[in-house]
Amino acid sequence: MMAGRMAYMELRTGWKGLLIFGLLILVVSAGMVQIFPTFRDSLTEELEGANKVSLELPDEQGGNVTLSWESMENATSYMVLEDSRLSMVTAKLKYKGEETSITFEKDFEEKRYYAVTAVLNETSDPLLIGIATTEEGENPFQELLQNPIYKGFTGGRNVNMLEAKGFITLEFFSWWWMLAGMFIAYLSVSVIASDFENKHMDVLLSTPISRRRYLIEKFGAMTVVALLIILVATAGIAGGLTSINALNEFSADVVFLSLIGCLPFLMVIAAVGVFTAVLFQKVRASMGVTFAFVFAEFFLYAFGGFSKSLEWMKTISIFQYWDYASVIIDDFFKAGDFIVLTILALVLLIIGIWVFEKKDIPA
Amino acid sequence: MIEIENLTKMYGNHVGVKDLNLAVRKGEIMGFLGPNGAGKTTTIRSCLALLAKTAGEITIFGLDSHRDAVAIREKTGYLPGEFGLISSVKVSSYLKYLLSLRGYERTEKMMSLAKRLELDLNRKTNELSKGNKLKVGIIQSLMGDPDLIIMDEPTSGLDPLMKQEFYRILREEKKGGKTVFMSSHILADVERVCDRVAIIRKGQVKVMEEIQALQEKTGKVLEVEFGDPFTIDEFKLEGVSEIQQDNGRIVLTIHENLDGVIDAVSKHRILNMNLKTYNLEQLFLKYYAQGDSERGDA
Ligand SMILES: Nc1ncnc2c1ncn2[C@@H]1O[C@H](COP(=O)(O)OP(=O)(O)OP(=O)(O)O)[C@@H](O)[C@H]1O
Ligand SMILES: [Mg+2]
Repeated sequence: MMAGRMAYMELRTGWKGLLIFGLLILVVSAGMVQIFPTFRDSLTEELEGANKVSLELPDEQGGNVTLSWESMENATSYMVLEDSRLSMVTAKLKYKGEETSITFEKDFEEKRYYAVTAVLNETSDPLLIGIATTEEGENPFQELLQNPIYKGFTGGRNVNMLEAKGFITLEFFSWWWMLAGMFIAYLSVSVIASDFENKHMDVLLSTPISRRRYLIEKFGAMTVVALLIILVATAGIAGGLTSINALNEFSADVVFLSLIGCLPFLMVIAAVGVFTAVLFQKVRASMGVTFAFVFAEFFLYAFGGFSKSLEWMKTISIFQYWDYASVIIDDFFKAGDFIVLTILALVLLIIGIWVFEKKDIPA
Repeated sequence: MIEIENLTKMYGNHVGVKDLNLAVRKGEIMGFLGPNGAGKTTTIRSCLALLAKTAGEITIFGLDSHRDAVAIREKTGYLPGEFGLISSVKVSSYLKYLLSLRGYERTEKMMSLAKRLELDLNRKTNELSKGNKLKVGIIQSLMGDPDLIIMDEPTSGLDPLMKQEFYRILREEKKGGKTVFMSSHILADVERVCDRVAIIRKGQVKVMEEIQALQEKTGKVLEVEFGDPFTIDEFKLEGVSEIQQDNGRIVLTIHENLDGVIDAVSKHRILNMNLKTYNLEQLFLKYYAQGDSERGDA
């Protein structure tokens, strides 16, 4: 008879904020998909560019390396930059001149990257023709995706950015967790801590609502909100994919399955929000700690990917238990992870209830 | 209805109330009187399980205040001393929401209370004046027709006309068999509506008595301003316990023999005269003063 009233009131009074956030998600997720064709075309161009530069390695130690490239119309001269990193941040000028091929001695052991650019005139920036590496059979652009930070978003898988799947895996999910996570963190803290700060708690808890009921209803409202934003994002992406005719690449239910995996992920964040709110009973302190929790979990996961000895960090990060890439790329939904996070969220909620029942309501 | 035994509530090292004993009987209006910081709010919020007790027992409707808190709250209305509302909703939807949390669907009482207290239910909660917000609080505490009504300073902030209406409402509740427990630090408020009063100071109940008995015991105060000379000895009569004099004024505390005193007074030219029916004010002040001397002894 009374069940859900509080959760309903929460949604009712907060509908404006929810609507705005929902629209934001819809626009961003659908809009992001629109970028894909342009992105794909420019990436294709760049990958082709890599073929415009070829590199011949000597058979024996200490021989000569030959680097040659396709000539470009309007080029007044060419520049070759050399670096041991693909990022080219520490690059040195290797050659500047009008030739389309250079030969030099291989007096190094480690890998080297060579970026060839064409100088069109004195005033404009040089144009990249392509990048070559001394490592055989390697594509420098694919290698970029081996960066641990990127790997984190693909669960260590190699993704093909020329497919919508790969694009969405990297480009959507790398910010979605933060947007959705922060939103849920903010909501879950404020719906409870503001009842303390507004001194509304005395009124609410003088009705026959137990403290347990109170928290469960608030948590329930958060679950509904999380589910709603997941549905909106699904609709946004699926709609976006339809508009660029890419829905045949993967279906709307794959999008949904990959996103629904973050429901218990968001519920853990909500439970932490609930817990900190009843512990500190203040919006600011609780919000700070909850945000810190989300970022700490992310960094645990990212650092855990840096080396084998740090792998344990991943296992204590909630990011480890939401493998959207598994759904998108391997077509496999990890139900076990879903259950692990659900249990964690419930355990945190129970601890929150326990703390709440022990504590005084501040006057 | 409410039995509090040896209630102690510590806020860290700070004493809220200490070994407090109090009982509210079914069907009465009990006033809870005390200076700022005496422990009224602490006691009330302990009854509602909003505060965890440090020690002692509170029984309400024969149920344990903390273990059976939800069952108690089903039959209890509460007006907090300080409270906020959900922001930016219509007062009527806010009140209906609180009713729904009680599983109570009838809104007649809410409507009639709003009418009597002259509260516009169509206003938004965030647009209310202090007094109107208090009215919302009063209405929400009564609208679910609870058997027990606990109010923390219900009258501070009501204008005199509203206060009168409020007292009428409380008397009607009492007539309907309801029990009221209300705190205040304004004695006159308590006097006008309460059957009994408990006076609390420094976390302990010092006096718990029928208002009437208290009034008889403490007497009446007669204040007279004379237009001609008089001596104090003229008023040292039977039944007069205290005489104070300053300039042309005299203040008498009278327990009996009122007509004898009036005779004595009427022998002079009277410029002004004021008979306060009771003297709780002084008693109240006496308790505070006593507190100061106790502090000195300790
Ligand atoms: N949260 C708290 N932390 C520490 N001390 C507190 C707290 N709340 C109340 N106290 C102390 O407990 C004592 C009783 O306070 P309480 O609020 O019960 O008084 P009161 O009788 O309601 O006063 P008032 O008439 O001002 O409302 C006071 O000394 C007060 O300082
Ligand atoms: Mg108080």
